[in-house]
Amino acid sequence: MKRFLVLVSLLLVFAVGLSITTITMTSGGVGKELEVLYAQLKEFMKENPDIVVTVIPMPDSSTERHDLYVTYLAAGESDPDVLMLDVIWPPEFAPFLEDLTKDYEYFELDKFLPGTVKSVTVDGRIVAIPWFTDAGLLYYRKDLLEKYGYDHPPQTWDELVEMAQKISKAEGIEGFVWQGARYEGLVCDFMEYVWSFGSDVLDDNGNVIINNPKAVAALQFMIDLIYKYKISPEGVTTYMEEDARRIFQAGNAVFMRNWPYAWSLANADDSPIKGKVGVVPLPKGPGPDGKHAATLGGWNLGINIFSSKKEKEAAKKLIKFLTSHNQQLYKAINAGQNPTRKEVYNEPKLKEVNPFMVELFDVFINALPRPRTANYAEVSDAIQRYVHAALTKQMTPEEALAKLEKELKLLLGQ
Amino acid sequence: MQKNEPKVAFWMLLPAILLISVIAFFPLFKTFYDSFFSFSLNPRFPREFVGFGNYIKLFNDSRFWASLKTTLIFTVVSVALETVLGLMIALVVHQEFKFRGAVRAAMLIPWAIPTAISSQMWRWMFNDQFGIMSRLYEYLHIIEPGTPILGRPGLALWAIIQVDVWKTTPFMALLILAGLQLIPEQLYEAAKIDGANMIQRFFKITLPQLIPTIAIALIFRTLDALRVFDVVYVMTRGSVGTETLSVYNRVLLMDRAFTSASFGYGSALSVIIFVLISIFAIVYIKSLKLKFD
Repeated sequence: MKRFLVLVSLLLVFAVGLSITTITMTSGGVGKELEVLYAQLKEFMKENPDIVVTVIPMPDSSTERHDLYVTYLAAGESDPDVLMLDVIWPPEFAPFLEDLTKDYEYFELDKFLPGTVKSVTVDGRIVAIPWFTDAGLLYYRKDLLEKYGYDHPPQTWDELVEMAQKISKAEGIEGFVWQGARYEGLVCDFMEYVWSFGSDVLDDNGNVIINNPKAVAALQFMIDLIYKYKISPEGVTTYMEEDARRIFQAGNAVFMRNWPYAWSLANADDSPIKGKVGVVPLPKGPGPDGKHAATLGGWNLGINIFSSKKEKEAAKKLIKFLTSHNQQLYKAINAGQNPTRKEVYNEPKLKEVNPFMVELFDVFINALPRPRTANYAEVSDAIQRYVHAALTKQMTPEEALAKLEKELKLLLGQ
Repeated sequence: MQKNEPKVAFWMLLPAILLISVIAFFPLFKTFYDSFFSFSLNPRFPREFVGFGNYIKLFNDSRFWASLKTTLIFTVVSVALETVLGLMIALVVHQEFKFRGAVRAAMLIPWAIPTAISSQMWRWMFNDQFGIMSRLYEYLHIIEPGTPILGRPGLALWAIIQVDVWKTTPFMALLILAGLQLIPEQLYEAAKIDGANMIQRFFKITLPQLIPTIAIALIFRTLDALRVFDVVYVMTRGSVGTETLSVYNRVLLMDRAFTSASFGYGSALSVIIFVLISIFAIVYIKSLKLKFD
């Protein structure tokens, strides 16, 4: 009898131990991102006592995160189970991600912004679930525009140049700061100019079309911002997001191109420009093809293909929880990261805390993806090198785009 | 007893040999082997033997030649400056003076800070808006106000060299100081009696006696400089003509690990870096007549 009891209790302990699944996930730690995630996970584990989630915090730079994933996945590691993936990575990492196509209904993907769902679809397969989205925006100083008699923010690039020149000269500050260092962010900024001037890098069929007069004009305009109009400091060729934000937030620039995250920081209690900032879509390019354009950013959650079946099931539950309506609302309010579900934008609470997210809804649903190719990393590297060479006057824009075209055609086998 | 000695020595060396084989020789030979294949870490790409294909492609790659040139400029200039400055500093702190111990310890601080951290610190100090180094150079009329030092072709590489010199000169000074302490005092006394002045004593005694130490220090530094990565990657990510061989290799081995069959190509570049380092080491050993026994 005694022996039987011991056996039963052993079995029980074993069963309980077996039923608890431990999964790991990666996450960024920009601003309040990590703090918000820990609060969310606490709730998730309360609802799912059989799942334990541990977080592996990742470096801030997207490139460094990419290198870490390459190391994990190339080694066939079953950890991390849930991977936080940049919007540009699904085609590259697709062979290492669990196919979620048949879970379309489970994750309610029909309720998500179509652009974000497109970004996680590779050759017709869903390989990740959109977590939060991003788009390039124009930040401006409401108080300064008012002071110099402008009753509306710039609609076109020409207007921006005119306003920035006048205000920056009179105030002795910079006119317009953006991301011009040689890294992924430069591709985002460059694409916005190219689109707003009515052109693109690849056409709908994937053919390289970057070497055309409109794209040259767009690149020339970026160069002119620095050397001709002198509204951007020459140092933008070394700036990333945070370099630009520091200058803008210190009150040393009239305009800034940045992502939504800068809003809550610029309006924080210790910010010198609190309450003096406006956000609008990026200006339109010249001519009949000119339009407002924003680069699509954002992050998705995918599942490691090397994880065990049980871990994959737990991972799906976790992703469903994190991308649910309520959790997206919580994240949008507390971490300032844009929801990927359409209906969250109708929440009155969101409008109250982050009004620009609701007002600029059109920008977020119309944001355009960077060139979609399986070897995006190489395409991006080529764009970065030639655009940066033109911005630092090592090449003319014509020369840079001609060389870029040649290299892209080689990379894409055209 | 005498007979047994080689046998005992063998067994005592064995663990070290095994350890080195596993952590050094195996990866080295694997890299050599991989450099003859076209493959990717992504199983979508088949592994194919290409012979010297990767090397031929590399020698036709203008980006390789540009990064080789940058690496050589960086190495020659930074190591030369570090050696001269290190020698001067070592001679100073070899003298007796008050608080010598404190000065010797303080001198090592730049060397003690992890490069990734000090490079980030310097990146901010070279910032065009609030960087203290930018202010200093403007004040000295070396640059125009508003010049982005790390965004200017030509200037950026010199800024990186400056950071490397700042960081590694203490290491040179420390090694040379150790060499100085080994020179017997009697040599100087004899020279003084023979009437040799300070300059003659330096060139006839100090320098020749220091040669083996300097040679070792040079080898250490040159090998490090030829594979420099962190300071360049943090400060400019290889833009405006500062891409070194290792920074280019990161693109091949990391950015492209899954997206194209360039892992063998990257391995070929690794082999070239290895060969380059070996050439430098051999030249130093031969020309400075070093003996390793």
